[in-house]
Amino acid sequence: MDTILEFKNVSFSYDDDGNKAVSNLSFTIKKGEFVAVLGHNGSGKSTLAKLSNAILIPDEGQVLAMGIDTADETRTLEIRQHIGMVFQNPDNQIVATIVEEDVAFGPENLGVPPEEIRIRVDKALKAVGMYDFRDHEPHKLSGGQKQRVAIAGIIAMQPDCIVLDEATAMLDPNGRKEVIKTIKYLHEEYGITVVFITHYMDEAALADRIIVMNDGEILFDDHPLEVFHHGKELREVGLDVPQATEFAIALNMKRKVLTTEDALEGLIGILEKGSSEG
Amino acid sequence: MIRDITIGQFFPGNSIIHKMDPRMKLVLTFLYIVVIFMCKNFWSLGLMVASLIITVALSKISVKTILKSIKPIVILTVFTAIINIFYVNTGEVLVKWAFIKITTGGIFTAIFMVIRIVALVIASSLLTYTTSPTLITDAIERLLSPLKFMSNSVHTIAMMMTIALRFIPILIDEFEKITNAQKARGADLETGTLIERAKALIPIFIPLFITSFRRAYELAFAMECRCYHGGEGRTRMKQMKLEIRDVFCGLFIMLTTVGVVLLNINFTAVI
Repeated sequence: MDTILEFKNVSFSYDDDGNKAVSNLSFTIKKGEFVAVLGHNGSGKSTLAKLSNAILIPDEGQVLAMGIDTADETRTLEIRQHIGMVFQNPDNQIVATIVEEDVAFGPENLGVPPEEIRIRVDKALKAVGMYDFRDHEPHKLSGGQKQRVAIAGIIAMQPDCIVLDEATAMLDPNGRKEVIKTIKYLHEEYGITVVFITHYMDEAALADRIIVMNDGEILFDDHPLEVFHHGKELREVGLDVPQATEFAIALNMKRKVLTTEDALEGLIGILEKGSSEG
Repeated sequence: MIRDITIGQFFPGNSIIHKMDPRMKLVLTFLYIVVIFMCKNFWSLGLMVASLIITVALSKISVKTILKSIKPIVILTVFTAIINIFYVNTGEVLVKWAFIKITTGGIFTAIFMVIRIVALVIASSLLTYTTSPTLITDAIERLLSPLKFMSNSVHTIAMMMTIALRFIPILIDEFEKITNAQKARGADLETGTLIERAKALIPIFIPLFITSFRRAYELAFAMECRCYHGGEGRTRMKQMKLEIRDVFCGLFIMLTTVGVVLLNINFTAVI
């Protein structure tokens, strides 16, 4: 199974007036990819997330998750086990009053035998670095810690793909860093496919591929270097480019720049060229 | 202020009372409460108090915490005692002045009521102090599982209880946030008549309700995403198994019950 998610000409609207939240979306996400979905408020990125694990069913077109049509109600559970989802507000996704009991919630629903649940819960908590907090009460944890518990709750279901719907939007800078580090780790160590929905450019820049959404349509779908090179178009739809990229564009650097290190190298290159010429 | 409520609070620990099977704990607490109302004289009441003290000592919960649990019921207890002193007219008359008549029966009943209420609250607080809320609801679900043939709502009710307990601290936080926000906008919550003050609470409760509904909506999504589909085919990470210590604890309360019955028979009842 190489393809995790496949959207085929998908359209969806929340009301009957025909205001489409997303229209004619087509893309494929392959196993092991780290995809960021960018877009300002109301661009349809959260709708895209909810379409991917059968919370919403497309009005037109078809969504295949792990090759299963999301419109097939008999296989909804199977889809949700493979495509885990983490939401914005960590408080609203934690069900139990003790951390480890919450992480066990998913596997319990799947009917996994108790001994196996124990193993999965411990493993998931260690993977997100929250094992030492296993008997704490969730409301006493920080935002970043709570969100990591929520991620552990998904990991314990052993999904192939995690969709994070603005999972860092409510966190402070430290919490954001913790969550990003955890996701990166899960992607690299466990090979979990990540769909990371965000409106922070710096976070999107970490992905292997960025899908930029605007008015329910895909504007760009490419490697971050290429996407951020379209600085002007991005600004037109209310998005920014990372500072380093903006710096490079302003200096007319030839190389495509994503990180501060890239920009620094580019700058050194320009200066060296300048001094040799002068 | 609201934070001081200790009901439903859980203090993790490693004592024999913590480790007891929650089903056994639940049943024994109920049994204890029933038996404490069976006591007819000071001997049997003394036995019940002694067994409660032993249990508290075994749980290693600090006496301060236990006393804190009684704090909210002090007024109720004192009120009950006073009513009993004046209204129960059995036994010898001690004081008679105008329409007031105080008898030994009245005083004994008052003492009994106070001890019963305090013991009842301590026993039930001890249950929540030593058992995580999830385990309590799990235990209720399992104890009621024979009723499943009548309806499958046992699991639903247990799930609702777990979620309610989980959201209490969150809603308290939210209540405080909204109160402060409204105060910052000049809302006056402390002065005025009772009706005015009640009206001033409206701008606090409406946002609280709205956010609660939104939370409920999101939580439902999150639960669906984690494959929740009711109690059918659900397993549990923490299995409940009766062990030797549970049998001993059961025997302990059973013996106390037998003791109470014997003492009731052998000594004359005072109430």
